[in-house]
Amino acid sequence: MSELATMSEQARFVFTGRLRSDSFIEFARHRAARLGLSIDVTQMSEVAITVNVSGAAELVDAFEVACSLGPYDCLVLDVARHDRALAA
Amino acid sequence: MSAGDNWHPVGLSHSIEAGSSAGIRLFGQELVVWRDTSGVAHVWEDRCPHRGMKLSFGFVRGDHIACLYHGWQYDRAGYCQYIPAHPDLEVPKTFKVPVYLAQEQGGMIWTTLSENPPPLPVDRDQTVPLRSLYLDCSAGAAIAGLGMVRLMPFASGALADTIVHRLTDTLYAVSTGDDRLLIGIQAISDTRTALHLAICGSPKLYEGFGQSHFLDWALQLRRAIEQPSPQALAARGAAAEMN
Repeated sequence: MSELATMSEQARFVFTGRLRSDSFIEFARHRAARLGLSIDVTQMSEVAITVNVSGAAELVDAFEVACSLGPYDCLVLDVARHDRALAA
Repeated sequence: MSAGDNWHPVGLSHSIEAGSSAGIRLFGQELVVWRDTSGVAHVWEDRCPHRGMKLSFGFVRGDHIACLYHGWQYDRAGYCQYIPAHPDLEVPKTFKVPVYLAQEQGGMIWTTLSENPPPLPVDRDQTVPLRSLYLDCSAGAAIAGLGMVRLMPFASGALADTIVHRLTDTLYAVSTGDDRLLIGIQAISDTRTALHLAICGSPKLYEGFGQSHFLDWALQLRRAIEQPSPQALAARGAAAEMN
């Protein structure tokens, strides 16, 4: 395996659509845990949920893709992302 | 039969070569049996944590198994160590395949779904692999039918009774005279069972003609269990009522 350090990243995601906040947040937390990311939910409503995640850049990308589909009882219409690269 | 704390046979040792893998089912659960190039057998959940592809379709490389779909590589403990699409990524420990205990005894590979199983009975006899047979019946029906066909002797030549002996819930011995077969019982599902057969004894004595001899018996046994005669059905019914 490469000796290069994994680049870490912090991203704020705003998921908008028709969301059941409890269901979506549980889903997001589960995916973050599976990907080894830290997650912080900062805002939630039935139309928008904002989370901050941090961890390996590739896995932050994977988190975005996973949550862009959301659980079966939510409809994600848009994902807005704001990145901040962290030192490895 | 239930999984319980039992050890369950999942194949004959010789049927899983080093560097190969095979998918099996135990109580309806899909598992992969694979052997690394050091010769150690492993039994895992047959599902890559990435996109659910069966790991049994994958490739064994040294002491890793790689998923066919995207090449994710897993070490012997089930942890993903390498993702080809992200070669520099330090893979989180959460990317792990559930693994089960595995041992080899009596010429068979054994596993358990329990975390605290009893010790696997030690069988120090040398064995000669015979065959794995797949039956359209429950494990209970297979066990009940083990004595349905007379076992003709090979080594001694003299006719003797066929004796069925329970060693564990999932391992039986069928013997006649000096000949003894081990039969491992694998409950694939409620309606399908595998019998893994091995001959106790030296390859010098049993390889070749001995294997052919007992294979004939095994195939007759499968026919008898799957298509029992009216008398056999009546006897099974009577036995069930008594129980």
